[in-house]
Amino acid sequence: MNRSVFTNPYVLTAPAFLLAAFIILWPLFQIGEISLSDVNRFGQLRGFNGLDNFMAVLKDPQFLAASWRTVIWTVGIVAGTILISIPVALILNQDFYGRGIARVIIMLPWAVSLTMTAIVWRWALSGESGMLNSALTGLGIIDQNIQWLAQSATAFPVQIGIGILVSIPFTTTIFLGGLSSIPDDLYEAAQLEGANGWQTFVEITLPLLRPFINIAVVMNTISVFNSFPIIWATTQGGPANSTDILVTYLYKLGFNFGKLGEASALSLLMFALLLFFTIIYVRLAMRGDRA
Amino acid sequence: MKLSSKMKRSLLSWLILSPLMVAVLFPFAVMLITALKPATEVLRPTWWPSTFQWQNFITMWSATNFGNALWNSVYVAVLSTVLSIAVSIPAAYALSRFRFVGKGFVQQFLLVSQMLSPIVLVIGLFRLLVALKLLDNLNAVVFVYATFNIAFSVWMLQSYFATIPKDLEEAAWMEGATPWQALRRVFLPLALPAVTVTAIFSFINAWNEFVIALTMLRNQDSYTLPIQVFSLVAGRYTVEWHHVMAAAFTATIPIAIIFAWLQRYLVRGLALGAVK
Repeated sequence: MNRSVFTNPYVLTAPAFLLAAFIILWPLFQIGEISLSDVNRFGQLRGFNGLDNFMAVLKDPQFLAASWRTVIWTVGIVAGTILISIPVALILNQDFYGRGIARVIIMLPWAVSLTMTAIVWRWALSGESGMLNSALTGLGIIDQNIQWLAQSATAFPVQIGIGILVSIPFTTTIFLGGLSSIPDDLYEAAQLEGANGWQTFVEITLPLLRPFINIAVVMNTISVFNSFPIIWATTQGGPANSTDILVTYLYKLGFNFGKLGEASALSLLMFALLLFFTIIYVRLAMRGDRA
Repeated sequence: MKLSSKMKRSLLSWLILSPLMVAVLFPFAVMLITALKPATEVLRPTWWPSTFQWQNFITMWSATNFGNALWNSVYVAVLSTVLSIAVSIPAAYALSRFRFVGKGFVQQFLLVSQMLSPIVLVIGLFRLLVALKLLDNLNAVVFVYATFNIAFSVWMLQSYFATIPKDLEEAAWMEGATPWQALRRVFLPLALPAVTVTAIFSFINAWNEFVIALTMLRNQDSYTLPIQVFSLVAGRYTVEWHHVMAAAFTATIPIAIIFAWLQRYLVRGLALGAVK
């Protein structure tokens, strides 16, 4: 047989594995060490202090509020994205005039950096000079300017809306892939049986799309849970921390307030949560493999 | 006259999609119109400027230090893409071609690292770079980006590589080619489309990344585009929105055009990679 470095799997996988291990495991180890230490704001460790950092995080009302908001943020965006993406994918999967253009427009937000998107929306949503207010006024929908980002009642829902908008392209893509894998003869058979559009959707499309929906839910959950730029570039978690989710709270703890110990403890808690999502994902992916 | 059924379907499709279209295109309109307003009209929320100030795009260039940030972004995105692809191709090849002890472990490790976003590790990464005295170093950012892209790239490439028949290389071996020759002449040309798609995704990820750049790059000379544009609006009393929007627009449009052009392939690639 061919004994060559090009057929030795260990040599071939080593660079990727070692690089990933170095950049992931080393920081992870650091975070573990800091989380169990008494640490000053310059990052100097002053000895072991057990689970104090974890306790401090868990007792902080900001942590509870941010956790709760993270749940709303994640569930809101993921649910909204899935609910919009399914009909959008169904439409884009049909043959109609201008479909190519429609696809390009809907995929467009994918190409724009989240930071830029968030900055543009921050400007568009500004109370006095924002073009959203002027557009809504022009259309007669509102009669006085809304301070979208200056009050938590509107800021957070608007941020969720932006999150949905930027998640649609990826999700629609997954569903388009799923729809293209459904054989046409199933639909022809259904038509012969006299099924109407809705019945076809519920009985054929939805069940066969299920694995793709599962994958889209898990992947979106992970990326939305970790999403930082939208909130950071529109409100930085303000006003009065009312739009903080765990990732922005983590960043503030570590880099604005210099509470590195607590921030590290929070990182580990979030890491555990992500690991949990990952295990669900692996299960789903494996089930897909067997099918 | 009766409308053809395709025509009816088209009208209906566009009608249903129109709210989403408006929401998607709205930020682009805001960017372009603000970028073209004279400085005195920027704060007036009118939709149409009295004159189009095309020179905003020129004054923006120096006012926002755009060229420098553009160069940094290109540098970081290109090098990190090259690095991550260079280590991902052999790994993906091995994972798609060989059975070996520890294969499952490597795959699981990559999957977990795929799920980990840099933000969860940001404190550890920051300490790592401080310890290595690599803060503000673009090459360090290249390494971090490349690493966070490896998992995704291996995963995408592996599922593509699995679709390329193994017989082709084995036939080349039979005819006396060394494994390297077989790889280079037979396998890599077939894998090229997959490599291209994966590279584009890596490039866009690196081009758009925010948290790592925000944390690791402390000096304006090393800012990438997202951080540079962010620094123009964060914590300032007066923001020159026409310059900011001109910068955002200029940074966005090339990527949007590439994306629109390659969208068909990207979509096919992702669908294949994501769900196999």
